[in-house]
Amino acid sequence: MADIHGAIEWLYGTAVSSAIRDTDWIVPTVQAIHICAITVIVGSALVTELRIAGLVAPDESLNVVAQRYLPWMWRALAVLLATGLVMVVGEPERVLGNRVFWIKMALVALGALLSVFLRKPLLRSAQQAQRQPTKALAWVLMILWVAVIFSGRWIAYTS
Amino acid sequence: MSLDATLDSLSNTTLALAISQGALSFPMLECIHVVAISVVVGTIAIVDLRLLGYRSHRRGVCQLIRDVLPYTWAAFAVAALAGSLLFISSASRYAHNAQFQLKLVLIAAAAINMAFFHLTIYRRVAQWDDLLPPPLQARIAGATSLCLWIAVIFLGRWVGFTLQ
Repeated sequence: MADIHGAIEWLYGTAVSSAIRDTDWIVPTVQAIHICAITVIVGSALVTELRIAGLVAPDESLNVVAQRYLPWMWRALAVLLATGLVMVVGEPERVLGNRVFWIKMALVALGALLSVFLRKPLLRSAQQAQRQPTKALAWVLMILWVAVIFSGRWIAYTS
Repeated sequence: MSLDATLDSLSNTTLALAISQGALSFPMLECIHVVAISVVVGTIAIVDLRLLGYRSHRRGVCQLIRDVLPYTWAAFAVAALAGSLLFISSASRYAHNAQFQLKLVLIAAAAINMAFFHLTIYRRVAQWDDLLPPPLQARIAGATSLCLWIAVIFLGRWVGFTLQ
């Protein structure tokens, strides 16, 4: 962990890092945008996952549902990474030096991979795929996103 | 009894003390609040964007609303409950916070906007269910709702930075 502490110190010393810390509206604004992007991911994922699980719009083509919401998830993910980066640069020790943050990143990576894996067979055409995605994985994903939100809020309470 | 005395006695109830003194985890309630808000605003945004003319997973507005609204309401109940518990943990501090007051006003405005939409243009939804773009009044209702909920999220986050 020695090199990460060197990196944290260097980042903390940069002009952009102190500008983020010293401008009092930046962090709350960026956090609010972060939460808005979370709602987009959660809304899109929830409807798609519940469709896969068979609870929402079971009469609607699975492919249409997955294709409609996946681009919104990518856009929201881009906003989340950008706003998250601002928070990392502003307070590198609070974030990078926090174990819960790294757990959160691992869960996000797992969630993204699992989402792509689950949706891939559904993206080729409007026709329903031959093989249905596993319903259980849709539930795993919903729980995973809840865990991501919990760990995100928990960063503020751990070090 | 004055309002402040009432708020203070609220914060001295066994339940409120359990939250402020850590027996019932404040951070855990915050996490539940954020998860519930994401579902509330995430599902509302899908409907609002459809009212603005962005396609959803349904062709018609009516079916879309029927699909997602039960989840919106269930999540809203959870968000309101967790929010109330966070509030009573230090009731008078929240009640005196301008951002918190404005947040409640905007939630009420969002409710009025929704009620107005349901009582007017939505009554005639059969005439414009599949129509893209939807009629102007529906687009205005969608845009208003979207702006209000985004403002509610901003104010909610701001409370955490301004609470005295």
